[in-house]
Amino acid sequence: MRLPDQVTGLFLVGLGAAAAYGGWLLPPVPGQPVGPNIFPLVIGSGLALCGLAIALGIGRTFEEEEEIVPIETGQARPPTGKLYGLRALLPPALLLFYVAAADRLGFIITAALIVYVTSSALGARWKLSLPLAVMAPIVIHLIFSKLLRVPLPAGLLPMPW
Amino acid sequence: MLNTLIEAFALISTWEVIIAMLAASVYGLVIGSLPGLSATMATALLVPVTFYLSPIAAIATIVAASTMAIFSGDIPGALLRIPGTPASAAYADEAYAMTRKGEAELALGAGVWFSAVGGIAGTLSLMILAPPLAEIALSFSTFEYFWLAFLGLMCATLVARSSPVKAIAGMFIGLLVACVGIENPGGVPRFTFGMTDLFGGIEPIPALVGVFAVAQVMRAMLTPEPPPIPKRKFGSIMAGQWRLTKKYRWQMTRGNIIGIIIGVLPGAGADMAAWVSYAMSKRFSKEPEKFGTGHVEGLVEAGASNNASIASGWVPSLLFGIPGDTIAAIAIGVLYMKGLNPGPTLFTEKASSMYAIYLMFIIANIIMIPLGIVMIRLASYVLRAPRSSVMPFIMLCCAVGSFAIGNNMFGVVTVAAFGIIGYVMEANGYPVAAMVLGIVMGTMIEQSFVTSLIKSDGSVLPFFERPISAILAALAIGALIWPVLVWGWRRLKAISPAAAPR
Repeated sequence: MRLPDQVTGLFLVGLGAAAAYGGWLLPPVPGQPVGPNIFPLVIGSGLALCGLAIALGIGRTFEEEEEIVPIETGQARPPTGKLYGLRALLPPALLLFYVAAADRLGFIITAALIVYVTSSALGARWKLSLPLAVMAPIVIHLIFSKLLRVPLPAGLLPMPW
Repeated sequence: MLNTLIEAFALISTWEVIIAMLAASVYGLVIGSLPGLSATMATALLVPVTFYLSPIAAIATIVAASTMAIFSGDIPGALLRIPGTPASAAYADEAYAMTRKGEAELALGAGVWFSAVGGIAGTLSLMILAPPLAEIALSFSTFEYFWLAFLGLMCATLVARSSPVKAIAGMFIGLLVACVGIENPGGVPRFTFGMTDLFGGIEPIPALVGVFAVAQVMRAMLTPEPPPIPKRKFGSIMAGQWRLTKKYRWQMTRGNIIGIIIGVLPGAGADMAAWVSYAMSKRFSKEPEKFGTGHVEGLVEAGASNNASIASGWVPSLLFGIPGDTIAAIAIGVLYMKGLNPGPTLFTEKASSMYAIYLMFIIANIIMIPLGIVMIRLASYVLRAPRSSVMPFIMLCCAVGSFAIGNNMFGVVTVAAFGIIGYVMEANGYPVAAMVLGIVMGTMIEQSFVTSLIKSDGSVLPFFERPISAILAALAIGALIWPVLVWGWRRLKAISPAAAPR
């Protein structure tokens, strides 16, 4: 997801200006010239300036092209469609799903779903991803809940230990 | 001195520390050797576990895992030409060329041996440099701390392999993230938008896990799977290493020194050390034409360099709370959590803990040799694990680990959000390491800045009046306007030759 520098630069100008304005609104420490307002003001202005410079293309000459190790020949290139790029959003979406569902469904079921989807999305057949979805949550549950005593939600399927 | 040393030995010779170290070593070796899972990510995912350990055991796991992961990144570099960690990227081509020449044992052996030597050299630098610097640092006021932190952030932007303007922007974003919450000079809710979850601020650790782990899983979704490793039998791995050590002792020493210097610089870590050392080795070599064809010299120097930077990266972390690299940034978080707040007084008040850290570094680098050899022999099995079976575990660790830090779900939301932020930043050439440093150092830099301003009654002049503070200020401001000057210079040069012929 490579955006033009103008877009990211202008976004940063907006973010910086908003931060500076937000800082400006905060009250200073009573009896002092400065307080919680000054730092966001400085940071925000700096960020806005940087954003402007980026939008104008300053410093682009320093950018080194990333050294990509070429793929060995004989490998299929990844398909590139419009929706293909959206696959990248899958991991954060699954984490949000965990937040929403873990308390009701319990850790084991939620985790199993996450494992199944992640591994299938990375190209695993069901012969691999199904056993993985059963095993991985139990292993993680053992480590974190039993060994480290993290209170993981039991939900519909509490573990016997 | 001797008493403290004995105390330090007592601190680390408990079962908890020994088991934690061994387990973290194995973990670091495995994660480091898997392509796409970096040493920083290994360390970040370890933090939730350290919550439940004693302070020394917690630091032991960080030390062991990061040391091992930096070495084992060499393994897939040599066997597959895919660096396991960014720190091995500089010489992956060279190591792979050696494997193709049938010298895989020599390349991997050099990896493990010179990594261990480098790690020990880095530890020695930590032992020698830190105490005298602590003496000087004791007389620092908030003015010096402010400039030091500022300079640290600037260094991080200068060494980034990207546009310095984007790096500075990344740093500002990190500082802005650190602004959130009520932990500010006035104690008022700032940028919390009425959400109580944000009152405590954004914890650095979930942010780090998001940026380094979730973003990596996101990238994996779009990149093809690396090819499986061919099965092979290895001969003796350590054979010939002593001969190499004698032959290339200058290259090794130079690598150690470069690694130490780069490690101490804030923000520049093992990957930078390896790039610089490899380039340096080629530049000063008597036989530069052999580089790239499977020549061991560059491997020696860069391998000695990247591991040296790991230990020396702890120098500014322990002294000032300014991380030497991203791994040290995580370590600082753990230090705060465990009541070992970074600062010069750490070396006088908690001297035995400091000695324990030195000892753990040395032990980690020594046990790396046998464990590393075992890992190399097992590599063909470990590296056969397909990505689709490793990444789900990473996902679960992200979810559970970030939940465990505060026992609330907001941590998981933070991880997801920073995954997206990290992914977008990386894709557009904004170095995430600069943002991470901003997040980690934000509170400290604000505190020293505002306290200084209150002391000076709102005037900026006292920032430049104390001698050390003036020197630091000059360096920091120089670093800030350097990219602008170079840009202007290039513009001038570009215009004048074009205008001249007319």
